Amino acid sequence: MLNKLRQEFLENTTQLLIVNNTNQVLDTDDSLFSIKKGSDITDFHPFFHVISSLFEDDRKQQKFYCVQMEIKGKTCFFDIRSQVDFEKKQVVLFIEDLTDHYKTLHQIKQVRNESIINFNITQELNHQLNVERGFKNKFLANVSHEIRTPLNSILGFLSVLENTSLDREQLDIIGIIKDSSKNLVAIVDDLLDISKIEAGHLEIKNKRFDFKKFTKSLVKTYDLQANEKRLQFVTDIGTNIPKFLIGDQLRLNQILINLLENALKYTHQGTVTLRISTTSRNMRRIPVTFEIIDTGIGIPKEYLTTIFESFTQLEKRGLFGGSGLGLSIVKQLTQLMDSNLEVSSKENEGSTFKFTISLGVSHDQKEEKETPVIRNSEKRSGGSKKKKYRILLGEDIEVNQLLMMRLFADEGTYSLDIAKNGEQVVLFLEKYQYDLVLMDLSMPVMDGYDAAMRIRNHTDKKIKKIPIVALTARTTEEERDEAKECGMNAYLTKPINSDLLFKTIDRLLHRYKPKKEKN
Amino acid sequence: MSVSKKIVLLGHFGVGKSSLLRRFVENTFSENYTVTIGVHIMKKEVHLEKDNITLVIWDVEGTDDFTKYRSSYLMGASSFIYVFDASRPITYGDIKYNLEHLKEKYPHVSAHIIGNKVDLVDPDVLLNDLKAQDIQHSYLSSAKTGENVELLFKNVAAQLLENA
Repeated sequence: MLNKLRQEFLENTTQLLIVNNTNQVLDTDDSLFSIKKGSDITDFHPFFHVISSLFEDDRKQQKFYCVQMEIKGKTCFFDIRSQVDFEKKQVVLFIEDLTDHYKTLHQIKQVRNESIINFNITQELNHQLNVERGFKNKFLANVSHEIRTPLNSILGFLSVLENTSLDREQLDIIGIIKDSSKNLVAIVDDLLDISKIEAGHLEIKNKRFDFKKFTKSLVKTYDLQANEKRLQFVTDIGTNIPKFLIGDQLRLNQILINLLENALKYTHQGTVTLRISTTSRNMRRIPVTFEIIDTGIGIPKEYLTTIFESFTQLEKRGLFGGSGLGLSIVKQLTQLMDSNLEVSSKENEGSTFKFTISLGVSHDQKEEKETPVIRNSEKRSGGSKKKKYRILLGEDIEVNQLLMMRLFADEGTYSLDIAKNGEQVVLFLEKYQYDLVLMDLSMPVMDGYDAAMRIRNHTDKKIKKIPIVALTARTTEEERDEAKECGMNAYLTKPINSDLLFKTIDRLLHRYKPKKEKN
Repeated sequence: MSVSKKIVLLGHFGVGKSSLLRRFVENTFSENYTVTIGVHIMKKEVHLEKDNITLVIWDVEGTDDFTKYRSSYLMGASSFIYVFDASRPITYGDIKYNLEHLKEKYPHVSAHIIGNKVDLVDPDVLLNDLKAQDIQHSYLSSAKTGENVELLFKNVAAQLLENA
């Protein structure tokens, strides 16, 4: 009974074939397909060419899974088992039709493979995009660096020219050139920031800072600017915000400056409001919400989503002048701070930019002791009777040498010597006595980093301890860190701000004053 | 009667092994990707200058792990054609590893490396990438355009006859 049932079940799904070593069909039950006895089985399907290999192999049995064959126009999938009788030079083939099973498997694999291939293709496209973006960022960083050097000279010499005897018209023209150059500096800074953000090189550095002092400085600046435009600058800063917070003051300042400047730029009457609030203060971290609200020209609805794109919105809109990068930077900086910049606006009614960032609350809410800042300006301009400080400048570019000479020419307190490269700096220090070194970082023969290392490792204690100020057009955090690691005491970026330069020199001269002079 | 030789097409899935086979045997091509499961076998007689040879070509289901290939599929092979997709570097990143495995298991079987789908890539970029990864390819082909397909099978056939 069971045997009969088994036969019925297997009849249409299996076939037995006996073939000899010359591929000749000796016997077949023709359950799945009919094949003539005595015919060459390789003519039926190329799979059966494998029979010759079966006789060359040591194994008596083999199994071939999922062999695809076209039988009477239908695609079939068979599992084929072989058993070789080496003595009789025959092979028994047991063919099992598993078409339904394999067709289901085929559908599953089709979906799986397609999704993996699509993922691979997307991954490859992303990789290519990153390569292109990397090239763009490198290009931007290099170009920005190259622009900074001549800009330094332009701005420096303009300041010098401004202090010569000029009539009003000439002063006005210098003012225009200066403003344009400063705009160019801002654009170069934006380009550098964008390239850093996109390359993932910009990190948020959270440090303790005086939030009250920070907002006070902002208010002071923009109150003045609003007054000039006859606008009202309203501030509403929550009194429950702790004085000392932990966050990236530099980048927060950059965000607020960009938003406030836009607000003032596109508001012709009414008010610009800066609102800062928090819902809580008794926590280790607090959410601080910043809102910049203006009554300006507003942004048409269709541009609300594109204003944060870098470069592109300029062509479309022409509204957010400058580099067209400001809002893009703001958006990306807020994202780096795990926040989201929201904008709501109505044409001719105004705009509101809003974001909330989580800031740490410093355990220590006590006032820091201010380090006394030595103000030497009177001494400098007055041509002090005290001995002059000797400054050594390491700088290879002639126009930069000229600019520094010009800046120092008006200062009675200092005398300036110039070395053309790092090696000369070290040589001059060994030969003459100096109080401070100003060091360009990119110089031929020996660069500023190497020269600083040589100085810090010098056997002469006085040379070893001399204050070094890096002067450079390089602005990346890594370069700043490298300069610090090489033992430089301060880092000033070009274009050099003369006030900051002399304040830095005064501060370092005061701090590193040799002992005998202190007494 | 011409001699017949077994060739096995190997490589990751979706690299165009079945398309190469169809282009060679039937001179057809479809943009639609259809997964091969198990093995699909076709044969074609190749006419060479002095002799004819029947290539029995086993188009085996693609995988990135060659250790998983069933030995019954590869038994009796005279040549392996290792196909990769020129537009997907992931399909040629592990060539060296997979070839080593084949050489260890089948030391007497020659292997040819074919970069397919070259119509989709910048050849200079591809060649630089292959050079950087020290991949010695035999042919760059396109089943879609037919570029080098006939040539590669003919050359493999000629080499098999030479070694026969």
